[in-house]
Amino acid sequence: MSPTAVEQIRDQIRTGRWQAASDQLRSLTAHAAADLLMLVPFDEQQSLFRKLPPDLAASLVAGFPYFHAYVLLHSMSVEAMRAIVDRMGQAELDHFLDALPEEAWHHLMRELGTGARIEPGAAAVEELGRPAPERLVEPIIQARQVEKSFRQPDGRQIQVIAPLDLSVEPDCVTALLGPSGSGKSTLLRMLSGLTKPTSGAVFWHDVPLTDANPSVAIVFQSFALFPWLTVLDNVEAPLLARALPPFERHRRALRALNSVGLKGFESAYPKELSGGMKQRVGFARALAVEPEVLFMDEPFSALDVLTAENLRGELMELWIAKKIPTRSIFIVTHNIEEAVLLADRIIVLGSNPARIRADFRVPLPQPRDRKSATFVLYVDYIYKVMTQPELELAPPSARERPAKPPIKPLPHTRPGGIAGLLELLLDRGGKEDMYHVSDDLLLEVDDLLPITDAATLLGFAETREGDITITPQGREFAQADIQRRKELFREALLSHPTFLQTIDSALHRKSDHTMPLEFFRDLLDEHFSEHEVQQQIETALNWGRYAEIFTYDPEADALRLHSSESQHSSSEASASAP
Amino acid sequence: MTHTSQKSRTGLPAWSALPSAIPSLLEDAPIIVAALAIFYAFVALAHYWLSPVNAHAEISLAPSVLPRYAAYSVLRIAISYAISLLAAILSGYAAAYNPRVERFMIPILDTLQSIPVLSFLPPVMLSMVALFPTRQLGIELGSILLISTGQVWNMAFSFYSSLKSIPREMHEVAEVYRWSRWQKFTQVEMPYATIGLVWNSMMSVAGAWFFLIACEMFVLGDRDLRLPGLGSYLQTAANAGNARAILWGLAVMIGVIVLIDQLVWRPAIAWAEKFKFEQVEAAEPPRSPVLNFLRRSRILPFIANHSTRPAEQRLTLHFARKQAARVSGGNASPARRWFGWIILVAALAGIVYAAVKMFALLLSLTRPELHAIVTGAAATFLRVELALLLAGLWTIPVGLYVGLRPKLSAIAQPIAEIAASVPATALFPILLLMLIRLGGGLGIGSITLLLLGTQWYILFNVIAGAIALPTDLKEVCDTFRFGSYERWRDLLLPGIFPFLITAFVTASGGAWNASIVAEYFHFKGQTFSTVGLGAVISSATDAGNFRVLVAATVVMAAMVVTINRLVWRRLYGLASTRFKLET
Repeated sequence: MSPTAVEQIRDQIRTGRWQAASDQLRSLTAHAAADLLMLVPFDEQQSLFRKLPPDLAASLVAGFPYFHAYVLLHSMSVEAMRAIVDRMGQAELDHFLDALPEEAWHHLMRELGTGARIEPGAAAVEELGRPAPERLVEPIIQARQVEKSFRQPDGRQIQVIAPLDLSVEPDCVTALLGPSGSGKSTLLRMLSGLTKPTSGAVFWHDVPLTDANPSVAIVFQSFALFPWLTVLDNVEAPLLARALPPFERHRRALRALNSVGLKGFESAYPKELSGGMKQRVGFARALAVEPEVLFMDEPFSALDVLTAENLRGELMELWIAKKIPTRSIFIVTHNIEEAVLLADRIIVLGSNPARIRADFRVPLPQPRDRKSATFVLYVDYIYKVMTQPELELAPPSARERPAKPPIKPLPHTRPGGIAGLLELLLDRGGKEDMYHVSDDLLLEVDDLLPITDAATLLGFAETREGDITITPQGREFAQADIQRRKELFREALLSHPTFLQTIDSALHRKSDHTMPLEFFRDLLDEHFSEHEVQQQIETALNWGRYAEIFTYDPEADALRLHSSESQHSSSEASASAP
Repeated sequence: MTHTSQKSRTGLPAWSALPSAIPSLLEDAPIIVAALAIFYAFVALAHYWLSPVNAHAEISLAPSVLPRYAAYSVLRIAISYAISLLAAILSGYAAAYNPRVERFMIPILDTLQSIPVLSFLPPVMLSMVALFPTRQLGIELGSILLISTGQVWNMAFSFYSSLKSIPREMHEVAEVYRWSRWQKFTQVEMPYATIGLVWNSMMSVAGAWFFLIACEMFVLGDRDLRLPGLGSYLQTAANAGNARAILWGLAVMIGVIVLIDQLVWRPAIAWAEKFKFEQVEAAEPPRSPVLNFLRRSRILPFIANHSTRPAEQRLTLHFARKQAARVSGGNASPARRWFGWIILVAALAGIVYAAVKMFALLLSLTRPELHAIVTGAAATFLRVELALLLAGLWTIPVGLYVGLRPKLSAIAQPIAEIAASVPATALFPILLLMLIRLGGGLGIGSITLLLLGTQWYILFNVIAGAIALPTDLKEVCDTFRFGSYERWRDLLLPGIFPFLITAFVTASGGAWNASIVAEYFHFKGQTFSTVGLGAVISSATDAGNFRVLVAATVVMAAMVVTINRLVWRRLYGLASTRFKLET
């Protein structure tokens, strides 16, 4: 999409030349027109969208991502919405409705049916008379083709982050989402200057970053407070490093503590405080330095649910009231709802190596309601992105090396977790939205994804478009007793190409049915990082022992084919001997 | 504290802010008196140090000289401790942050740790005496450095491993907020390392008391050097066979050790509690009445507010400004890098030269000398293992018996701790007196001495392990009516295993080192010795036989390091994985 086309249409919107804008859009295909419009700030999109003739709007809806179309539709009256939906082709409409999650679908059906306006979607946009705010500001941070790889002890490089571009804009809360171990934190550390990228560069206001940037602050998951310093000293320590005079230090620290509600706790030590209070100190320490960008590395993950909710709410209140002396917030999280709750922009990372799989804006007004249909829409969309590897949005980079491991990694979960998931699915009639499963099992996506991956790998379930469906094999497994479950698990395990198949056949080939575990470790070493090898081995031991494929002898650090199996095959061997 | 500084800001003289009431002055009197006493001791010591060399100082055996001798010894240990602390921090810091230094520093520390104090005696003494040939200072410094060679290694290790285990976030906080190195050192690294340093300091100083006798009185070739102190007093008393003097010296030494324990280490441990890296408060933190007294005092914070605290603030600000002015991303200047290379090359050349010389020296060993070293090594090996076995045999049942009974262990634990801190060398003269009366030789005597040196430490570790056994596991044994055999096999022995290994690792290293004083002793004008590596080292030092000294030291260091790597480190790994009781 040429930048001039974007400039042109923005200019038309600003000056109210709706007809010209419509004509320009009409000259393109539906998808190209939608793509062009996506590059325009959301409030301008809304303004234009309401002025478009319904038939043009209807063809655009089919071109937008369904969640974006849904939000755009809800920025207008129900009548106008109905007029547009009526003009959509049957195939497009079906496609759009199919993609919607259950809540959003119900909601839309109700609106279209009753005609009453039930929920205003995005904020009502003012008529364009005044000049629109300048949105094409230059980003604060820009990462250009940054890549990170780590050197293994044996000298091989393991790439954790594929070369990618990313920018942090002012007046924006950006959330970086991704499964655990996907390199989110590494990316955050590269943007803040704590870690150097292996290749590529990070720019701050177009100046290459060489050291830790002077104008950032980080809020850590583990709080990272010094237990031997009082609350006040903890907050003052970064100011001391900036050589501020004592009086000024004191004033700024007290102001920061006051803003997070910790007045009166200045002389307490961190160990006297609860988790939520500790993280408040962490926030105060970060705010006291008045950073241009406030980085947060899973700041609420170590807190209990209620405390986290409370702290999130207060943070957003401060941010919206412009009481936070920062221009931008960048938060790393693995909690999907948290991202949708806080962020103006969400970036979803894939793993092994990390690459950007989705980067989109969430134009919902604050404070956001978890139960609203639009909220659920975004949550559902993110599940869709994260559960479907083929939904790759980022184009593969030219510099990427073909280093895909030929050994399929095992998802790190336990057989019990898989059984629990399948039982739940059985209860729900065999099919369920992922975000519902996550709600019901009280699991965050980080814990849930390995379980669904494992269920899919074994052929017990299928995931598609953010839904998970149980298979007949899965049904049988869920209804079986313990012994039968082990048998089914074993059958499933050995009929799918995994690392355990490799172990099983290797043990069968050996005459004494015993192999040192070291052998398999070496095998994995060629494909995974040291930590990942450790995890793979642990999971393989766990599954293999459960399925009674082999036993593990920790003294000899060796695997041995399970006794019934080896007796069976050795009697076979002796029978075949003359 | 705040009102003090406010008042001085309003123009009143700073002294007017001092608590003026007589009661508070009385309360602080002990602190003031202690400060004056320390000051006097330093003046007296300086006067004595600068006096001309008096190589054949007469060591008086009158009990009235004991306070003065005790003060000399305490000061000697204090100064050598300060030197050790500084050296430990410097070397630990270098090893933790420079991977190249780390590569060779850690094995070197490991080896040096296993070299007995006496082997350092000739090089240290000769160089110090050469530095100050006409003043007592030379010999004093030699003695102090000698004491340091027994103290510094484990402290360096402790500091190094503390730095290595600082959580990544802590480093990141310092980096993202651009702390100066100084601020990082005072606010992150030192606090994080404090607890480990305090515990290792206690062990180091205990080691210094153990070797005090060897460090204050020695023969170097044809020179007979002695320094007034508790160690030389005990040695002289033993030489003279004066039982009364031995008992007096012993009593004073134990008194001093207990006093230091109460006045220095207990408060230090209780104070270090605030550096514990935990996010919740401990249920029962260690306490010390002395520390409480110091904390209640008003004169100390006053002095701190007007001296150390402003100085520290100013230093931090100074370094912060320097850091801010530094061009970011600046690397070491080429001149500095060249300097580093030159030092490295020089050090390597020195090491190679020394190694060649050492091999040349070892090649000139005569057959009988070699024979003595080999048989000595075997004898000492057997003696050390036997001592450890005997110590384990009686301390494990006794320690478990005591540790499983809370009331008994509340009484027995402090006693075991004090007993462990009394240097066995001080008891040796008495032991020898008894053995000679009973007719035993030094062969048995040395095992008894090694036993005395190691058993207490093992005992209080076993007690601690038994106390730490989880109640639910004990209840399992009770509900399923485990017999005593099963109870020992399934709960007690595996449960205390990590504690036991910690104790044995320390005890084993200590026993090897202790063999130099256990196997060779001057008593009643004669020299008692038995076959052993320690005896070889001691007699070589006395005779000034450099060749044998070096050879025997190399053998001992090699044996200790090998045993550590082959046996103890493996068991340690086992203890920290399989036998770790997760809570």
